[in-house]
Amino acid sequence: MSTIAVEAAVPSATMASRAPRSRSLHWAKLVLFYLVLSVFGALFIAPYVFALFGSLKPESQIYTVPAWVPPVHPAWVNYSNTWGNFSQVQTEFSTYFYNTLLVTSALTVGQVFFSMLAAYAFARMKFPGRDAIFWLYLMTLMVPNIVTIIPLYTIMDKLHLVNTYWAMFLPYALGTPYTIFLMRQFFRNIPQEVIDAAKIDGLGDIGVLRRVIIPLARPVLITAGLIAFVFGWNNFLWPLVVSNSQSHFVLTTGLANFSTGPGTGAYLNILLAGSMITLLPMIVIFIVFNRYIIRSIQLTSGR
Amino acid sequence: MAVATAGVEGRLEGGGALRPDRLRPSNGNGGLRAFARAFPFVLPSFVGVTVFLVVPVIFVFVLSFLNWSGAGPFSWAGVQNWVNIFKYDGAAHSLGVTAYYVLLNIPLQTVLALGLAVMLNRKRRGMGFYRVLFLAPYLSTPVAMGIIWFWVFQPQNGAIDHFLGLVGITGPNWLNSSLWAMPVVAAVNIWQYLGFNMLFFFAGLQSIPRSLYEAAEIDGASKWRQFWRISLPLLNPTMLFVLVTDVIGSFQVFDTLYVLTGGSGGPGDSTKVISLQIYNVGFVGTRYGEAAALSVLLFAVVLLFSVGQFMFFRNRTTYEYSA
Repeated sequence: MSTIAVEAAVPSATMASRAPRSRSLHWAKLVLFYLVLSVFGALFIAPYVFALFGSLKPESQIYTVPAWVPPVHPAWVNYSNTWGNFSQVQTEFSTYFYNTLLVTSALTVGQVFFSMLAAYAFARMKFPGRDAIFWLYLMTLMVPNIVTIIPLYTIMDKLHLVNTYWAMFLPYALGTPYTIFLMRQFFRNIPQEVIDAAKIDGLGDIGVLRRVIIPLARPVLITAGLIAFVFGWNNFLWPLVVSNSQSHFVLTTGLANFSTGPGTGAYLNILLAGSMITLLPMIVIFIVFNRYIIRSIQLTSGR
Repeated sequence: MAVATAGVEGRLEGGGALRPDRLRPSNGNGGLRAFARAFPFVLPSFVGVTVFLVVPVIFVFVLSFLNWSGAGPFSWAGVQNWVNIFKYDGAAHSLGVTAYYVLLNIPLQTVLALGLAVMLNRKRRGMGFYRVLFLAPYLSTPVAMGIIWFWVFQPQNGAIDHFLGLVGITGPNWLNSSLWAMPVVAAVNIWQYLGFNMLFFFAGLQSIPRSLYEAAEIDGASKWRQFWRISLPLLNPTMLFVLVTDVIGSFQVFDTLYVLTGGSGGPGDSTKVISLQIYNVGFVGTRYGEAAALSVLLFAVVLLFSVGQFMFFRNRTTYEYSA
C-alpha cells in the first residue's frame, strides 16, 4: 500500500477509536502502567539498598531491624574489618580484591590481545587450514563450561599449576572462540581499500593492525574488554576449584568460603560489606558502559 | 549456541550491516608462505583452544573410564564409574532436580521478560532508565547477590519475612525447607537474568516494522490482538533463541545455588543439581572418574538441546520483511 494512503487513514482511524473514550481512562491506564513498572523497579533496586544498609549496621541489628530501615549510626568499621583482618574470622578482603584485580586484568589483556590477533588472521588472511581451524573454534562454543572443569583441573594438576595465579587466568587469556568470532565479524567489515592503502604505504601486518584495525575497531575492542573483565571478576567455579588457600582466594571464592564456613549466617554485616566491595566495580562499569553492554548482548542474538 | 548465530545478520556500531557470513571453501589459500605469515597470529589462540577446550572435552570422556583421586597415577575403571554415579551418586535424582529447576525457571522467566519488553517498547518517559535498571543484576556478581538474597530470605529475620509479618503472614522456611528451597533459587535466578532476556525481546520488538501495526490499527485490531497476531509470530526466532540459551544455561546453574544452599545442595538432596554433584563428587569426594562421568552426562543433555536448536533454526520459517 502506498504511504499516502496510510497517512490519510491513520488520523481518521485514531480519531474514531479515541474520541469517545474519556480522558480519565487514559490517565488511569498511564498511572497503572507506571505503577507496575515502579513495583518491578523497586524489586530490582531493593537488594542493593538492603545490602548497603545492612553492611553499615552492627551485627546485633542485622536480623532484628528490618532491612529497609537505614542504619542510625553507620558502622563504617564493618568495611575496615572486612578489608583488613577481621579478628573473629580469618578473612582479608584486601588480599582477595588485589588477587581478583590481578587475575582479571591478566585475563582481560590476554583475551583481548590474542583474540584480536586471531580475528585479524581469520578475517584478513588466506592460509591453508583457516576454515578448518575456525570451525573447530566455533564447535567449542557448544561445550558448557562445567563439562571441562574436571579434566581442566586434571591438566592443571599435571602441569603443577594448581593454586597459582597462572591457573586462574591462563585458560581464558589466550583468546576465546566467542571473542574471536565477535571481532572477526567486525574486522571483515573494514573496507579492503583502507588496508590496501596502508600496505602501499609500506605497513606490514603489525602496522595494519596498529594503525588501521585498532583505531577503526575501537568499539568492538572495548566490548570485548568489558565481556572479559566482567567474566573474570564474577568467575567463581574455576577459581573455587583451582585455588585452595586464603592467599590465592579471589573475591567470589573468599565470599563463598566465608559464607559456607563454620558458623554459617554469622557476621552477615561483614559478608554484606564484602559483597558490596565485590559489587562496586561492576556497578561502576555498568553505569559507565551500559550502552556497550547492551550492544554486546544484542550482538549475541544476532540483531 | 553461537553456532546458530553464525549465519545471522549482525550490526555493529560504525560497521553497518554485516553480510550473512558463509565460509568459503579453502582451495588455493596461498600455501606455505601464507601459512607462515598467519602462523604467529593464530598460534596463541590455537594453543589456548586446544589445551584448554579441545583436549579437556576429549579427556573428560577418557577420564570417565578411569580412576583418579586427585593425586598419583590413573587406573582403569571400565564402566564402573558409570555404574557408580547412578548407584551411589544419585545421578538420576540430580538430573530430575535439574529438570525441575529448569521447569521452575524458564516459563516464568520468559513470560516476565516478554511482558516487560512489551511494556518498555513504547515512547514514554523513563523507558530507557527502566531498561538499564532491569539489566543491572546481569552484571552483578552472582556469588555476592546470592549472599544478599540468602540474607533477604532468612526465615523470620529476613527482609521478606519481616515484610510478610507486616501483613500478618508467616513465611515458610524458604531455604531451610526442601519444598521451598528450589523455588527460591529459581526466583533469584529469574531476578538475575530477567533484564538480560528482556533485552532480546526488546530488540526483537524494535525490529518489527511500524507499518504492520499501523495497518492492523486501520483494520480495527485491538492492541491485544496485535500482540498475538503480529508481535508474537514475528518474535518466533527471538523466542527460540532465548528459550534454548536459557535452558542450556539453566542446566548449568551453580554460583547462586552454591551460595544459597551453602554448597550442600540441601536441605536433604532437594537442590542437588548435576553441576553441584559434579563439584562435590570431584573436588570434595576426590573421585574424579565419577565426576567426569557426570560431566559427560550433563554434556550429552546440553548437546541434545544444542543440536535440537540447530535443526530447528535450519528448518524454521524465516519471516522476511522490509522496513
